[in-house]
Amino acid sequence: MTEPLDSVQKIWQDQPVEGIKMPAEVIRKRASRFERKVKWRNIREYAASLVTVVLLGYFAATTHDLLSRVSFGLFIAALAWIVVQLHRKGAPKRMPSGVDTLTALRLYRAELERQRALVKSVRSWYLAPLVPGLVVYAAGQALHASTPATWIRLVFLVGFVAAAFRFVWKLNLRAAECLERMIDELNASE
Amino acid sequence: MSAIEAIRREAGTQDDLYQEAAQTYGAALERMARAYEADADLRRDLLQEMHVALWRSIPSFNGLCSLRTWTYRVAHNAGVSHVLRQRRTRGQELIGLEELENLPDENSGERAADRRHALDRLLGLIQRLKPLDRHVILSYLEGLDAAEISEITGLSAGNVATKIHRIKKMLARQFEQGGERR
Repeated sequence: MTEPLDSVQKIWQDQPVEGIKMPAEVIRKRASRFERKVKWRNIREYAASLVTVVLLGYFAATTHDLLSRVSFGLFIAALAWIVVQLHRKGAPKRMPSGVDTLTALRLYRAELERQRALVKSVRSWYLAPLVPGLVVYAAGQALHASTPATWIRLVFLVGFVAAAFRFVWKLNLRAAECLERMIDELNASE
Repeated sequence: MSAIEAIRREAGTQDDLYQEAAQTYGAALERMARAYEADADLRRDLLQEMHVALWRSIPSFNGLCSLRTWTYRVAHNAGVSHVLRQRRTRGQELIGLEELENLPDENSGERAADRRHALDRLLGLIQRLKPLDRHVILSYLEGLDAAEISEITGLSAGNVATKIHRIKKMLARQFEQGGERR
């Protein structure tokens, strides 16, 4: 049995290769393109949060209504909480270099499981912190609602926010299902 | 001077060590890329990914294993990520060595007359395998021994030995009956 097996190894090792050369300069450029992409994505995310906080801060400073001011303050606190949670739990972990395949597969699965847990718990760390601000804001609006038109506007607003919450929740549930499938596929791949 | 410092001093810069690995194992990386991707364009991308992963990994190279083991690990991990990514888009079903062992010889009755045909058949078999099994068969074909394969894959020596036994049995059956005759 040894001879044919040796020849199979030989066929494999002797197969013609193109001898493609990858100059270090090209590799370095491609690697830094990737790093830049990641860096800019992070900057974009934090910049968007900062702009929202500044806008909410502006509204809080300029409104004369106490409840609205409190609600904007609560929104800022909620946003800060969400950003911290995203940074702590959501930042993608980089795979350590040169680990063996079994470890790499386990780390990859752990990463997928971490992401799944994050999107599955979106109600507690993303949606729930926004609720106090919304309740106070709605209460403030309800106190000042004197005509049927303002009540209708308020009901629409509450309905819209509830629908948006449901949409975000469902979207994350779908993402969790997708991650679940990826984990199953990974398990099947070992 | 620590072992790591010694390696770094000897190798010079990240670029030097990368160049050394790329020059020595460049052909093996090409063969690996071929085993992980059949499409020529995607294969070129994968090969570049392997090289980028290798270059980026060099600062973490600690000299606890050989440069060959390190290079193979990094390249295989890039290959595995590629397979898992492609599997999601292509919906390709991968099988284990046990199932491959039981596959009927597709070429029975027909003689694989030349090396090209034998190589194509071999690639066809490898590309159907699950990542870890693919990794073991590739390392075996590259001529690595069980200890090295164990070090690269993280599988126990006993597990590697079992897998190699299966690989040998499967290859013998496929290439003796199928007629790898030259």
